[in-house]
This record gives sequence, C-alpha cells and structure tokens, in this order.
Amino acid sequence: VFMKGSPAQPLCGFSNAVVQILRLHGVEDYRAHDVLQDPDLRQGIKNYSNWPTIPQVYLNGEFVGGCDILLQMHQNGDLVEELKKLGIRSALLDAEKDQEKK
Amino acid sequence: MRGPLLAAAGGAMGGAGGPLARTIRAKLTAALQPTHLEVRDDSPRHGGPPGAETHFGVLVVSGRFAGLPLLQRHRLVHEALRAELAGPLHALQVIARTPQQWQSDPHAPPAPPCLGGSKR
Repeated sequence: VFMKGSPAQPLCGFSNAVVQILRLHGVEDYRAHDVLQDPDLRQGIKNYSNWPTIPQVYLNGEFVGGCDILLQMHQNGDLVEELKKLGIRSALLDAEKDQEKK
Repeated sequence: MRGPLLAAAGGAMGGAGGPLARTIRAKLTAALQPTHLEVRDDSPRHGGPPGAETHFGVLVVSGRFAGLPLLQRHRLVHEALRAELAGPLHALQVIARTPQQWQSDPHAPPAPPCLGGSKR
C-alpha cells in the first residue's frame, strides 16, 4: 500500500479508508509506504502504475487500484476472493460463520 | 434535480459550479457519453477555501464501461481528465457504473472524511 501517513496514523481520508477496509478483513501485516516522506516515491509510484493519485493498493505486486476500487471490491465480495487467492482468509468469512451459527 | 452523490455531500453546489467543475463535466461528457453524470467539488471538505476546486468526486454512468473491470473504467475517466490531474486536480473520487448497474442500485457511497493530508 502506498499511502499518506501510516496505517497507525493515516494522514488522508482516502488512505485511511484503505487501512480500515483491510483491517475489517483482518489484514494488518502489509508493507505500507508513506509517500509524504519521499517526494520521489510519491511521483515515482504514480509513474509506475500510470495512476494519478494516492493511495495505491498492490496485491502480490499487482496494482489493484485506489480507495474507490478497494471499497467496491469490499462491498461486492471481490476482495474476499482476491485475498483467498493469496492464501489469506478474510476475517469477514469468520464473522459470517459466527452469524450463521446464531 | 439532486443526484445521490450531491445529496450525500450535503450538496451545496449552487448551479454549474466553478470553471474546473465545468471542464470536468464537459470532458467526461465528450469522452464517455454518460447517461448520468454528477460532478461534486469536495474542496471545502478538505480545508480549501470555497471555490478552491482541488478535490472532486465524479459519478459516471456510461455504457462504455460495459465488460470492463473497475481498474479500466477508472483509467478511462483519468484519461479524459489527464490535463486536469497533471494540474490543479489534486484528488478524484470515481464511481463508474454501467446503466444496468446504476438502475439496479442508484446510490453512491459518501466520500471519506479528510484527515489533513500533506498540509500537516
């Protein structure tokens, strides 16, 4: 994740949204890069992905999109699937299981 | 008529909006022939003075998006606004739906609140 600030302290509402969504899925162990610390990184990552804004989410080295795309993937279930492909079991699946048991 | 994106923002657009808003609207209309388009200036919510025109949200409903994954849809929108994004447009929220998707769900999520950004 390339973002403004850090997961512990995001400095932008869009970056924070990415952190919160990942957290909902139980994903907290990822590399986060604060582009505010490094102007070359800030421009470089935009050139690399040909994407004009921050935050940028990469899964397994592949560019997935920004905050809007991650939110839609979260809402339509795609994020759970993508995490599964990476061998990550989304925490939301366990939450659902608990609900079904009730 | 107020669309959901404007209403969610508390929509104080007051007419066509500033020059950048009009440019965004014109370019997206030309590039994507949308059946529904909302352009929202979020700059006041990010600490800018009124009329700053730095942060925008756009909701684009267009048949051009059919069959395209989200990433490609967003890239089409970015492409249409390439000059603006290289210049004054600092942030852009994008919702890109096909007419069918919009019809089955004519609601847009609100933009996340600002947390200071690089001004801190």
